[in-house]
Amino acid sequence: MRTRISPWMPLLCCLCQLSAEIGEIPEGYTPIFNGKDLSGWHISRSNHHGTTLDARVEKGVLIIGQNPIGEGGILLTDKRYKDFELYLEVMPDWGCDGGVFLRSSEDGNAYQLAIDYVPDGLMGALIMEGLPKDGPGGAGAGRSDAWKELWKKDDWNSFRVRMTGLAPHIIIWLNDVEIVDFTDDRNRAIGGAEDGMIALQRHFTSASSWRGVPGGVHRFRNIAIKELN
Amino acid sequence: MPITRILLWLSVLPCLLAAQPKTYTNSIGMEFVLAPAGSFVMGKFAPACAEAGTRDFVTESHYQECVKLAREAALPGFKAEVPRPFYVGKFEVTQQQYRQVMGKNPSYHTEDKVGEPSSDYPVDSISWQDAQAFIRRMNALEKTNAYRLPTEVEWEYAAGAGTDARPQTGAQTREVAWYRLNSGYVTHPVGQKTPNAWGLYDMLGNVWEWVQDWYDYQVVPSGPSGPVSGKVHVLKGGGFQCYQRMARVPAHAGGPGTTVSLGFRVVREAR
Repeated sequence: MRTRISPWMPLLCCLCQLSAEIGEIPEGYTPIFNGKDLSGWHISRSNHHGTTLDARVEKGVLIIGQNPIGEGGILLTDKRYKDFELYLEVMPDWGCDGGVFLRSSEDGNAYQLAIDYVPDGLMGALIMEGLPKDGPGGAGAGRSDAWKELWKKDDWNSFRVRMTGLAPHIIIWLNDVEIVDFTDDRNRAIGGAEDGMIALQRHFTSASSWRGVPGGVHRFRNIAIKELN
Repeated sequence: MPITRILLWLSVLPCLLAAQPKTYTNSIGMEFVLAPAGSFVMGKFAPACAEAGTRDFVTESHYQECVKLAREAALPGFKAEVPRPFYVGKFEVTQQQYRQVMGKNPSYHTEDKVGEPSSDYPVDSISWQDAQAFIRRMNALEKTNAYRLPTEVEWEYAAGAGTDARPQTGAQTREVAWYRLNSGYVTHPVGQKTPNAWGLYDMLGNVWEWVQDWYDYQVVPSGPSGPVSGKVHVLKGGGFQCYQRMARVPAHAGGPGTTVSLGFRVVREAR
């Protein structure tokens, strides 16, 4: 069989390459970060990681870091979500702890996808951030090495999170491979909240808590959501 | 000085002293403690760095860079004056007191949630405007204008019992505050933890407390009086669900906060 090479092939390859570089929001998701500014987001002024987070947008990328040194924080969506699938791409600096909070309170009590990019960190784990830790679900879905095989170093990596149900069922995919399937025994949200905000976190640091190299940041892009309720 | 003037002074002196007893209980049973005039240092900021080797990838150059940035970011603080004595609420305003004054109780932490009558629990789910409405009605009830929210200076002065902020251990926080590690993620009746040196309860933890000031979006207060306008107000002390970093006297937070953890205490001007 003769293979015919399209004259458009070089252009298509070029477009494919471009697409790989800027990433792509999967079909059916609605962007919640416009790539230009922080419209639709706000910094928590009552979160213990910090109240003066450095959150900025550069070349289509949402960057969060400490401001001043030691003071991290969380950047919350203005909107609250109940059942959803969240898609985002992340490129953290090595040695920095951060995460994505799910159904978060304004103070940052939330189910958390840890993006804890440090040796022996909790990368890709589902943990309880300022939520009760008792009962069968209290430990979340903790430390696993599953991410190490899938992680693309010095490159963008995608997370997809599906969160449904009042006692939440949470599935996490890293670069399209499922790494967490967790079902809680109850709803742990503060005040019994049935919905909450999505938050991007940069951990605080102190003399006794090394959670980031000076100047280190977490970068996010292509943040999008599909509401399921 | 003529003898008549001395006699006049002596005759009114007991009245002046009697006007400022150490404690005061108002018409609805709210208890207050007299805070003396004084001053303290607030607004200090001193980030601290983990030394090289704290984690195996933490190098000496990381540490040195952190120390440099910490030095640049450090703030010496400023002297905050409290020129006159004032009465500060011994407890956070309770659900019973709020209901008595406002005829309703907006709290989340009622009997069905906490498993016992919640009258003595702090009122929660309170906005800054709700707190002001309570104060207006309290003033009207007693035909006075002496009740108000504390300023942030007054709040820190009272919470620290007139001293400058000191480092606070986890054990100390457990002793004085209902917070994330001992609250069970609900509020508790006021006055159960150890009070501070002035006999004030729950200054840290239980519910966040609104103060009068607008929030300035700074890591620590930028001066003794807050900005003249703003979008949200300052929150102090942290709530039952907060980490210790917020349940500290100098922690400087702002609204909107987490609704079910928001309350207040009132001060009364001493005349």
